[in-house]
Amino acid sequence: MLRLFYACLIGLVGAGIVHIAVLLLLPQFSERDAWSSLAEAGDFYKAVRIDAADGSPPIVKAAGPLFHASACRFDLTNGPVHLRAPGTVPFWSVSIYNRAGQNVYSFNDRATDRGALDFVVLTSDQMIEVRKAVPESFQKAIFVQVPIGEGIVLVRSFVPDPTWEEATSEFLARLACTEE
Amino acid sequence: MLKTAFLTFVVLCISIVGGGASVWYTLKANESVGAVTIGEWTAFPLMGTLDADPYSRARVAREGLLTLGRAEGLSFSAQRDSDGGALRRECSYRIEGPVPSARFWTLYAADPAGAVISAGTRRSGALHSYQVLRLADNSVSIAAGAHPAPGNWLALSGTGPMTLVLTFFDTPIASSTGASDVVLPSIVKVGCDA
Repeated sequence: MLRLFYACLIGLVGAGIVHIAVLLLLPQFSERDAWSSLAEAGDFYKAVRIDAADGSPPIVKAAGPLFHASACRFDLTNGPVHLRAPGTVPFWSVSIYNRAGQNVYSFNDRATDRGALDFVVLTSDQMIEVRKAVPESFQKAIFVQVPIGEGIVLVRSFVPDPTWEEATSEFLARLACTEE
Repeated sequence: MLKTAFLTFVVLCISIVGGGASVWYTLKANESVGAVTIGEWTAFPLMGTLDADPYSRARVAREGLLTLGRAEGLSFSAQRDSDGGALRRECSYRIEGPVPSARFWTLYAADPAGAVISAGTRRSGALHSYQVLRLADNSVSIAAGAHPAPGNWLALSGTGPMTLVLTFFDTPIASSTGASDVVLPSIVKVGCDA
């Protein structure tokens, strides 16, 4: 009987070890994370609408019902990534996530003059290169330095009422996510 | 020999089942590590950031979330009313009180899977601060329920448990650490359909 009690005790210690192991390994092995879902929806440097435009479930749970959102995956080892979207919407915000879906940088339309979305994501090494001779297309862009390789950039746009539906859809449809 | 094998089996069973089930349970429970609770509302300010604890990281990976950044906003959810009863879609609630400063905020009801509950009509399943009427002291009073109500009305439908989600955008409460000083509206149950 005492041996059974010991066995249960060792079992509980083992349960603790398994708990910690599962918890720490779960992010690495998850097939349902945002990166995997976006990889199914589109290739690198392709802006994908992730909200439910036609009432189907969203690709990634990222924004509430009054938002439209587009995301694109990038790899900074290929060079900086340039994002632009023309047009005016009531509110937009941008988040940059690493491979694991952790938010590393975010800003909103108040961070720019006139609210134009035009920014470049790059690493600090690439920033040094760009500073030597700023390309023509980067003249008005905001530079965002992030310490990551692969990542996701997500643009959310607020839709206060259905009359804004077309303008925000157009804004996200014209979102260009280009490798420079 | 057989006894040793049996005891080893017991140890392995308790370890694997207990360890797995405890992770599953903690990830499912809303009251998790790193939660900030204000009245009936709960938020996870560090969830999805680089400072997140392992539980939040696992939850983000498992549910495929991309959380709001600090410059974007902070989302609060509530599953209980002011008396501690679980929120239900067939009941009516009054959400009233002051709201913290933010560029705007949105309020909607979600089912346990996270899908937005709409009224099933052309009416949107969500309210936002640009469209709500405010009281003289700048606080809000919103009726949530299946029956139309004067003033601000968040339309619900169906039966079963629900979660209310209140999200503040471009707000100082997300970018500062002062989330615990914030006062949020209370959720008072008015009545239920029989």
